Amino acid sequence: MKKISRYILVLITIITTMTALPGLYWLAFEKPNRAPYLFYSCINNGFVVQRHQNGKLIFSDLKGDKYTRSKYEQKLPLLYIRQLLVSGTMPDSIHGVEIDIHKVNRNRSFFRLRPKDISSPKPGLYPMFESRSGRVNLQMPKDFFRIKSRMEFINANTNTVEERKSELFTSALQHYGFAFPSKMIAGIPTTRKSCDEGYFVIDANNHLFHVKMVRSRPYVKRVKLPEGLRFKYIACVDFSDKKYYNYLISDKNKIYILTQDDYKIIRFPVEGYNPKREELRIFGDLFNYSVYMVGKDHLKIVVLNKQYQKVDEYQESWPNRTQRMEGKVFGYIFPAELSLSKWYSSYNKFYFNRTAGFHWLFLNILLLILYFFILRKRKIDPKKGIIDFIIIGITGIFGFIGVLCFPNKFYD
Amino acid sequence: MWKSIIYKEWIKVRWYLIMLTLLGILVLGIIFLGVQHDKIFSNANNYWYAILFNGLQYYSILKFIPLLMGIVFAFAQYYPEIVNKRIKLTFHLPLDEDKVILIMMLFGMVSLIISYGIMVFLFWGAGSFFFAREIVNAAMITITPWFLAGFGAYFLIATIILEPIWLYRILYTVITVLFIPLYLTDSVSGGYSPINLSLTVFTLVISVSLLFSAYRFRKGEM
Repeated sequence: MKKISRYILVLITIITTMTALPGLYWLAFEKPNRAPYLFYSCINNGFVVQRHQNGKLIFSDLKGDKYTRSKYEQKLPLLYIRQLLVSGTMPDSIHGVEIDIHKVNRNRSFFRLRPKDISSPKPGLYPMFESRSGRVNLQMPKDFFRIKSRMEFINANTNTVEERKSELFTSALQHYGFAFPSKMIAGIPTTRKSCDEGYFVIDANNHLFHVKMVRSRPYVKRVKLPEGLRFKYIACVDFSDKKYYNYLISDKNKIYILTQDDYKIIRFPVEGYNPKREELRIFGDLFNYSVYMVGKDHLKIVVLNKQYQKVDEYQESWPNRTQRMEGKVFGYIFPAELSLSKWYSSYNKFYFNRTAGFHWLFLNILLLILYFFILRKRKIDPKKGIIDFIIIGITGIFGFIGVLCFPNKFYD
Repeated sequence: MWKSIIYKEWIKVRWYLIMLTLLGILVLGIIFLGVQHDKIFSNANNYWYAILFNGLQYYSILKFIPLLMGIVFAFAQYYPEIVNKRIKLTFHLPLDEDKVILIMMLFGMVSLIISYGIMVFLFWGAGSFFFAREIVNAAMITITPWFLAGFGAYFLIATIILEPIWLYRILYTVITVLFIPLYLTDSVSGGYSPINLSLTVFTLVISVSLLFSAYRFRKGEM
């Protein structure tokens, strides 16, 4: 039993050092990697780029033509409209379309979805706003709803279910064939939005419903989906052009939108999006939508026109930290690393990362030899330390620290 | 004989256990007084909203209390044993030495389970009075590793106290100081849900670690 207790302590040390040492290493030696900034220019009909080179900011296009900052801004008039208006270089029209600042602003949108937003605990309770109160500002309701075996509104003040309202909404959902409980509830649960469009709810049968409250009455609409289409995430948006309610990510990682009022599902012609490891950014302007998929070591951009057809695309990758010098040195020292949190998830768990390659074996062998001599010096028969050798052989520096901290010295 | 050992443990720790439990209850009292105050001053719906969508953890001052309790309790139970090497008297009893240590550890663990159990029950009960189950459940998931940290600290501090050599005590302290934060990583409410079970199993496994120090102590390791 006491021998087991020693190995438990060694295991604790391995876990601790596997978390702490690589963390300290990256803290000391990791170098920043500046990803390029690319935008689609409606003047060039091509990409222009900002890059950091030797401490300088370089503006250019993909052909290699370099620009001054002001020339670069003129290539992106819809992005730098305020600057161009101040400096008097804003064109009156682009591609025959007269440029009016109100129109430009109305068509401008920005959306961001991080892997962490998808992989996170959901609140389970949501405020149902009155979407047609006749007031300019939205008001936070006194209750929050859940959709389990029925739709229930819970009064926050009394912490009790509001039966009448719950019955009303449950019956409305049942009337439209909603199968309880809900699998997903998506909305914009804040009063800081231009108007309220309620929630988009996926029921137990994977059907999509639009649910909101209009003059204290439930509004329910079942959205017709193509056969077999399932969504893993829905992100509702509140853009000025009011063209669509939300971005929907399917279980096959395709990006869709749901158009406002006529509830049409439209697929963006974008391939290769990985919601688990890539941040999705979608910029909309008067002429285009630019869909960015940004990973830790790469960037993919697909540009669509206003009819959601692909007009251009670009991708670039750069060495990630494990491929750079500091990562290569890391590979010679640490066989693995362990952490409790990751940039791509809000959940805490043991994230175990085995170091690619086997360079760490050199150090492991060195530590095995060193441990052999330590045991000899302590006059302990190395045969008694066979399990220690196995531990060091597999876990390298972590196991070496563990077995040294808890000496294998038993008297029987 | 076993009853006498348990009685000896009880004599050592009873006041600490009672005072620590009262401290825990006092902290819970402060938490829920705060909840009641904030509910009235910022309206219940805004308060719920802040918890559900702005990451407000109404129980955040609880975070280090179970840890503190575990550390103090370990000192209360094991420090008197190493003063003048009193534990050697226990080892001279006609009992299995490992068993004695395990009984002491089990006594400490059950005491902490009772103390923490009262706190968790009160936390859950008062929480359920003020909040819907979604909020309470997420809070329960979040506080679980904080209480496990208390158990982990109890087992490891006991190991450190019983270790006879100062150099190793320092090494164990370093490992403990680096290990305990694994339970206390900042997290969103409910973020620990995938790991709570494995952390619980892991904490139970740590429980036998003090056998190692006790063995070294018994053998007069220098």
